[in-house]
Amino acid sequence: MSLAPPQPSSGVWPAAWKLLRLRLLISVNTFRRARWRSKLGTIILVLVVGGLMAFAFYATRLLLGFLRSPEFTAGVPDAAAFVNGLPVVILGTAFLGILLTSFGVLLQALYLAGDMDFLLSAPIPMRAVFLTKLLQAILPNFGLVCLVALPLLFGLGSVGGYNGAYYLLVVVALAALALAAAGLSSLLVMSIVRLFPARRVAEILGFIGAVVSILCSQSGQLANFSNVSGDQMLGAANLVARFNTPWSPLAWAGRGLVQIGEGHWVSGVGLLGLTFGFAGLAFGIALVSAERLYYTGWASLSGKQKRKKAPRPARAAHRRPLMAHAGRSLPSPVRAIISKDFAVLRRDLRNMSQMITPIILGIIYTVMLIRGGGEPPPGQGEAPEWFMSGFRNLLDYGNIAIALFVGWMLLQRLAAMGFSHEGRYYWLLKTAPVSASQLLASKFAVAYLPALALGWGFMLVLSLAQHASLATAASSFLIVGFCLAAVTSVNLAFGVAGAVFDWEDPRQMLRGSSGCLSTLASAICLPVCLAFFLGPVFGAVLLGEPELAGQVIGLALGGLVSTACALIPLFLVRSRVPRLAEG
Amino acid sequence: MPQTSPLIEMRQLVKRYGEKAAVDGVSLEVHAGEIFGFLGPNGAGKTTTIKVIVGLLQPTSGTVRVGGHDVQKEPLQAKASSGYVPDEPHLYPKLTGRELLRFVGNLYGVTGEQVERRIDELLRLFDLAPAADDTIDSYSHGMRQKTALAAALVHDPKVLVLDEPTVGLDPKSARLIKDLLRQMAERGAAVFLSTHILEIAENMCDRIGIINQGRLIASGTMAELRSLGKGESSLEDIFLSLTGGAEYAEIAEVLR
Repeated sequence: MSLAPPQPSSGVWPAAWKLLRLRLLISVNTFRRARWRSKLGTIILVLVVGGLMAFAFYATRLLLGFLRSPEFTAGVPDAAAFVNGLPVVILGTAFLGILLTSFGVLLQALYLAGDMDFLLSAPIPMRAVFLTKLLQAILPNFGLVCLVALPLLFGLGSVGGYNGAYYLLVVVALAALALAAAGLSSLLVMSIVRLFPARRVAEILGFIGAVVSILCSQSGQLANFSNVSGDQMLGAANLVARFNTPWSPLAWAGRGLVQIGEGHWVSGVGLLGLTFGFAGLAFGIALVSAERLYYTGWASLSGKQKRKKAPRPARAAHRRPLMAHAGRSLPSPVRAIISKDFAVLRRDLRNMSQMITPIILGIIYTVMLIRGGGEPPPGQGEAPEWFMSGFRNLLDYGNIAIALFVGWMLLQRLAAMGFSHEGRYYWLLKTAPVSASQLLASKFAVAYLPALALGWGFMLVLSLAQHASLATAASSFLIVGFCLAAVTSVNLAFGVAGAVFDWEDPRQMLRGSSGCLSTLASAICLPVCLAFFLGPVFGAVLLGEPELAGQVIGLALGGLVSTACALIPLFLVRSRVPRLAEG
Repeated sequence: MPQTSPLIEMRQLVKRYGEKAAVDGVSLEVHAGEIFGFLGPNGAGKTTTIKVIVGLLQPTSGTVRVGGHDVQKEPLQAKASSGYVPDEPHLYPKLTGRELLRFVGNLYGVTGEQVERRIDELLRLFDLAPAADDTIDSYSHGMRQKTALAAALVHDPKVLVLDEPTVGLDPKSARLIKDLLRQMAERGAAVFLSTHILEIAENMCDRIGIINQGRLIASGTMAELRSLGKGESSLEDIFLSLTGGAEYAEIAEVLR
């Protein structure tokens, strides 16, 4: 049998279409072969998203209707400028959003995807591979942007009575801006990967992304919105109008859309034409540069990984790990696992980015608690004195709450994923003569010790800031120690039950159900343990007995319950450990 | 066959995945000082058998004893006496080669000066000393393979189980491994290795087992295997004859 020689795909677009069709086929097959529950979930998700879009559309109509009403415009003279500036803000935000968020996605798709060897060895033009990867990468972000921007822009068109061309061009403008943003982002990715290893860039990016996102999401907690004046509100509203300047390329698309919607065809088409021209230019440059930049970046990828590092100092070769000195009494395998886990956690920035969240949250809540000066918010002043007094007493133990919250968050990562974290390397532990108890003990220590250190660190700062008495501080430290031990054990037990070892993406480390149950169970365990510790203290105060007596009884009761919570879950899952990773 | 007690002993080993039997009633023995080659087509059950021996999988039925210990009843003792090199060397990428070897040594209870001395020996032996303090994510496939082998040897095991040990190695490293396995056998260890390279099995192994569709269809020395065939002299011919060569002829026809 002889086959005709294969014909390489000549054009960029036909080849790109072939690759996109392949991706579509994979998606369709994945859906077809999914379990019925998963299919149902996907359908429900699509319906919910559709419903949310419809809700956003009608909410926008209502809001914009109000903004255009005579009552509002009488009070706010620049209301029209604000409303007309909205498309500019929405499209500008969409562009900047895609530009910023697509960097990481493009880095993953262009350089870290598993199919690159196959694609680059096939007779497909490099630009087609680049184009397909680019489209695949930005499609989810574009979908999210459309999810928010389309209902808003359509709602605006509906309120303003814009013509049909506006609605069509909104979609086209969004797509053009998304392509331009992705093109610029890809140029940045390709340039950076020529200088730095892609995997390292991805790790650093993940760390920075986690820090920035948590800082942005929590910065509102520190802001004091209760004192915002009307003038400040107006100033914020005027910011929207300031975006709408004729010289800004980001404003052209929005202004052009409004002009076309209102029937000012010449100026509208001119502005949109400029937008499309710039978008096409940015995308074109990315596409043309891709042929050279992309290939050289990819080709040097493996070489960079193998590049020899500078030799370490000689003493590093025989340096003993800290754990070897710290825990002589522990069995050698337990010490080895703890030492290894700490080294791996410390060196992989992906882990650090997952663990930075509790630290930032802890700092924010610590600042809030200290700023409050230990006094509960007065509210309307109608609360009885006994309630306020109890609230004040509760705030005395606010440092425990913060320490436990921080520790609890950290344990979601360290304990619940203690086993899954091993991933494909688990065979080294499984084939070694390490008992289930030793494995559990080492994983417990790896999770518990950092959570305890962090929790105690926050508590020390708060106790000093609040001038807590020695007895209260000592009791608080013990409470945190016991409660975190219980939570560690609960999380670790669920981590054993839902362990996944064949993950590629760290976000898939734990089965969904186990992750949820672990969070839920530990969130229940924590207040239950805390109630046993603090219940007698509050009881003593209410009954007029010495607080110290309550603290002692609380420590005894809470200590017993926490110890039980720390031992029972591990005992229950001990028999599962030898069967882990057997598929 | 040597008259020593077997270091690896399997009796009617069965491993099922649902209805499918990946290993179906395999019984064999590997004695001290012996290199046993385990051959079979893709999907025949080689890796599953190996994973049961080293304790990565629990058998559905049957028994496996390693170093005289039942892998199910005395798993820690059985594991302590064996070293394992998997077909794909997945090693912690953020540890250095030296740290990995120290970690594995400590897991097996080798500590202090003893483990440091052993690490230095192995790093020199496998030509890994210059990269010993680099993290494993900077290693090539061959270097990882050699690191995995060094990790399997760090506690000087009585039983060595290797799944495709020469895949991805350069000729020099492959030769080193062959010599090393022979030395280990001469020092009284039992070596159990699976390979697709029949030349290695033919030249290195004292005895060979051939598994097909989960069943051990032949086992013995080269001379004993020859006597099972239909006059074939090479291991390749014997292997194809026993495991069925018709499909290879078809493939050749398609490619012609």
